[in-house]
Amino acid sequence: MARDNERNQERGAPQRRQFFRRRKSCPFSGEGAMKIDHKDAKTLFKFVSERGKMIPSRISAVSTKKQRELAIAIKRARYLAIMPYVND
Amino acid sequence: MKLYETVFIVRQDATPNQVETLAQDYTKIIRDNSGDVAKTEFCGLRSLAYPIKKNTKGHYVLMNIKAAPEVVKEVERQMKLNENVLRYLTIKVEVHDPNPSPLMQQKNFNPDRNRGYDDDQDDLLPTAMENA
Repeated sequence: MARDNERNQERGAPQRRQFFRRRKSCPFSGEGAMKIDHKDAKTLFKFVSERGKMIPSRISAVSTKKQRELAIAIKRARYLAIMPYVND
Repeated sequence: MKLYETVFIVRQDATPNQVETLAQDYTKIIRDNSGDVAKTEFCGLRSLAYPIKKNTKGHYVLMNIKAAPEVVKEVERQMKLNENVLRYLTIKVEVHDPNPSPLMQQKNFNPDRNRGYDDDQDDLLPTAMENA
């Protein structure tokens, strides 16, 4: 359906349809944002995959600065056995 | 004098009393050296994410410390010598958090139940990467 619509549009006037997605803001920046804490397993688990690997910031929309902090927090949590190094 | 936050894990066979005595010992060392312990939290027996020295569980203790670096070094040395202490981690902090730590609130947190950092982009997670 959507594909048909697109084709029709193109036939009428050559129009480039771009994939538009609103840029999500960093979950750790701004007011009322989450705190990065190496003891807070619940928050940290949102930023690792099921395997226990960290999720890249381009997917989770964490800012570069906060991603660095987050990485340190996750590594500390792993050392303290709050989070797994490998989850299988 | 600087502010530190120490978490240490005591092996599972230790009794809660032993854990408390241990924490008191460390508190004493700090107090004797003109430092102070703002808060001590016994987070109880938590299951470890992976076994450490054949322990699957451990007693977590959190201490908010105000002391000179040398004193912290001494406490860490004591922890290293004690076989009951599986792990310890001391970090320097700007401010102490007087509220109960997340360790206290979420005992044996199960990650499988709270999956997903955000709802709508979950499908974008490359599954190929997971298997790599």
